[in-house]
Amino acid sequence: MRKAPSKTSAPARAADPSLQSLFDVHEATLPNGLQVRLLANHLAPVVSLYTFFNVGSRNERPGITGISHLFEHMMFNGAKKYGPKMFDKTLESNGGSSNAYTSHDMTVYYDDFSSDALETVLDLESDRMRSLRISQEMLTSEREVVKEERRVRMDNDIGGMMDEELGSLVYKAHAYRWPVIGWMADIEAITREDCQNFFRTYYAPNNAILYIAGDIDPKKTLALVRRYYGDIPRGPAPQPVINAEPEQRGERRSTVRHPAQSPAVVIGYKGPSARDEDTLALDVAQYVLTKGEGSRLTRSLLYEQKVVVGVGLDWSWRIDPGTILFFLELMPDSDPQKAEAALYAELEKLARDGITERELQKALNNLRSDHLRELGTNNGRAHAMGNYEALLGDWRHVLSLPSAYASITREQVQAAVKKYLLPERRSVVTLLPAPSEA
Amino acid sequence: MASRKSRTSKKSAAPRRAVKKAPARAAKKKSSSRKTAAAVASTSRELVFPTLHEVTTSSGLKVIAAERGPLPLVSMRLVIRAGSSTDPAGKHGIADFAGQLLRRGTRRLNAQAIDEAVEFVGASLGVGVGEDTLSVAITTPAEHFAQMLGVMGQLVREPTFPESEVADARERTLAQFANDLDEPSVIADRALVRALWGKHPYGHNVSGSVKTVSTFTREDVVRFHEERLGPKVAMLVVVGSVDPARVAAAAEEAFAGWTGGPDKAPVIPPLEKVAKAGRVIVVDKPDQTQSQVRMGGPGYRTGHEDYFPAAVMNTALGGGFTSRLMNEVRVNRGLTYGIGCWFDAMHAAGIFALSTFTKTESTREIIDVSLGEIAKVREAGLKPAELRDAQAYMGGLYPLRTETNESIASAISDIRLNGLGDDWVLRFRDRLKAVTPRQVAAVAKKYCFAEPPTIVVLGNAAAVKKQLKGLGPITVVPASEYE
Repeated sequence: MRKAPSKTSAPARAADPSLQSLFDVHEATLPNGLQVRLLANHLAPVVSLYTFFNVGSRNERPGITGISHLFEHMMFNGAKKYGPKMFDKTLESNGGSSNAYTSHDMTVYYDDFSSDALETVLDLESDRMRSLRISQEMLTSEREVVKEERRVRMDNDIGGMMDEELGSLVYKAHAYRWPVIGWMADIEAITREDCQNFFRTYYAPNNAILYIAGDIDPKKTLALVRRYYGDIPRGPAPQPVINAEPEQRGERRSTVRHPAQSPAVVIGYKGPSARDEDTLALDVAQYVLTKGEGSRLTRSLLYEQKVVVGVGLDWSWRIDPGTILFFLELMPDSDPQKAEAALYAELEKLARDGITERELQKALNNLRSDHLRELGTNNGRAHAMGNYEALLGDWRHVLSLPSAYASITREQVQAAVKKYLLPERRSVVTLLPAPSEA
Repeated sequence: MASRKSRTSKKSAAPRRAVKKAPARAAKKKSSSRKTAAAVASTSRELVFPTLHEVTTSSGLKVIAAERGPLPLVSMRLVIRAGSSTDPAGKHGIADFAGQLLRRGTRRLNAQAIDEAVEFVGASLGVGVGEDTLSVAITTPAEHFAQMLGVMGQLVREPTFPESEVADARERTLAQFANDLDEPSVIADRALVRALWGKHPYGHNVSGSVKTVSTFTREDVVRFHEERLGPKVAMLVVVGSVDPARVAAAAEEAFAGWTGGPDKAPVIPPLEKVAKAGRVIVVDKPDQTQSQVRMGGPGYRTGHEDYFPAAVMNTALGGGFTSRLMNEVRVNRGLTYGIGCWFDAMHAAGIFALSTFTKTESTREIIDVSLGEIAKVREAGLKPAELRDAQAYMGGLYPLRTETNESIASAISDIRLNGLGDDWVLRFRDRLKAVTPRQVAAVAKKYCFAEPPTIVVLGNAAAVKKQLKGLGPITVVPASEYE
């Protein structure tokens, strides 16, 4: 029996004792390859069910960019037993709600519902995994919805515009170079056949993992999962994704001109993949730089030098090497180069002098608090398990992350900063206000 | 990341999951279930709500504690009846401005020391200002709870508002107003608020405007603090893994000797009439390829008897993915990615509003279709099955509101501020189930635009204006009007 895509798990680490008691997880793999993780919690009569499919925009190619996201929408539009409009109607009228998202690496569906609707939800979810119907009419209509989504997130949103520009600057060969939502012309061009092929390959049980957390009896729930999902056939093995990204040999820059009140800057440094040990050291660096009002960049750039009105850093984990992203929000008529220089000076200082023991401890305290807070709901627990399994290869990282962070040293943080936050690894997009064309 | 739903996109900071922006303060909930489901695994059908322990400190501050595990975290929230609705004329935004400055220095700690004290231990501190209240909230690892309560006490008892911090905050706020002009949904929301409330105390932006904030001085902030913040108009709620007796002792210490502020909560008048009823405001932003559309009319205040029938009606009309508006506007016609309506109930009055967006060319169509759906509910109410479905939806998901310390603290403060009764959460689903079709029909007649609504369209005015003929008198204003 094959497991989901071949993954080597990140190194084993000790579980945090205070978390261990909260994660009495029952695991199983069905003969068709579907993996299941069950976690009981009876604090409230509600359940969260997450389905993680191992597919995202990294599995796309030019010509059908955005198909994983468009397809995510199509999954709500009718299957064999529950036809058009019946998924949401059945779920909501039974006390549940649902949503989904697509990222560069995965497509994730979730349902939150009253615990007595569990069997109905399994019926609904297994129906669409088994026998989705993709009609031309539905595709035509849903395409318009997605185009409106693209307009609101990208074409009429400055942050979206800059993100899109940065993606195709940082990556030359990898599928991370296009936005998850895809290029408008590709959204237009995706066909029903494309969707059908996509479904057969990526939405098969052997490419999915279910997480069910909440007011459940794990044994009975597993029996139900077997009953509803057991007869869904395996799909073909998905094509592996090749990372052909060439080495970056120097800084890359791009300018976006658009009507705006103020200039803005986003800067992306090529980082490691989520499974690389450096990822955790970069998380610590991220917290030292921008977590909280007292963080280095907030204090220096915002409060002391006053060269920005907002500064942010997002180190978001990805399966293939990701991007360490900085963004600078500026005042009208200010100089983006000055703000950029102030940022680089702080990064150089960090690379040169490293972080203090107190900064390390502070970052660890906050990483732990944020981790605990994420685990405060069934939805958060199910999502965390799925997210860590998708990115790191095992849901158990939810237990061991706090202790993994605790073993990070100041030297590791400094080494990671020195390795990744280099001028030749960065790409810079500057927004320059253009006059509005009335 | 792209998601199936959600109203706005945020900068580039892709969170690890989809961010959904709920309409401000929109209430949502539901009950029961029917049909297929065999109750398989349910072991606890009743909601669990912690016991509330109440004490009053020697300074007169009411403290409510609720013990709750298993995570070793504590959430505390100090709610003060000092929201933006009593900002003086010419000083609109002062409550919000002062709120932001509370953490920028106290007699014993400067801004850096406050940040360090809170952030080192992994706690987080936020100050939020709305129309009715100013709230200081801290979530902390349980072992640091007393120390964090001490910081909270200092912030409200003895802030110093250093001159340089006031000047810097003013500059940042003004820059933020300018940058907001690039956020179409923010400006459209702002325009709707102004058009609905007019000169009512809820009618100005919580943060004020360029005109008012430019005039703010340290004296304004100090006066606000002296006159508006005090124990008699405040309440502290503490929820999490901490013994109520420890909460009482720590609160006594943290707030001992707190004086100042008014004796009674401010009285805000009800809304006499909607300022721009029946009018169309076009906010011009020529670079847009999409129009942001808002419509609104009167609603009700918090604690109003119409709450349950109106909430159910709203769910069926513009709540979840199966609502009439979602079905007709998004699913059947592909006109938008997001549409919803909600009641925004505040302490003294409220509104009913709709929000959506579409490509410039279909602006009129989306307005007509939306108005048509609202009119149908106004004229004929809901079908019995629709009512049952909405009740089931809200009732089934209501327990999600009791999952975190933060959400319980927020429920407790709402209950107490608005006199909803301590059994509010436990009785919620029964009250919801008791709603009848007749009650729904009555609230639909009342709130579903019995009078012509106020309509706001933000977009390319030159392309949009000609589409809007016949909807009411049209006023075109530049986006900069809302800076």
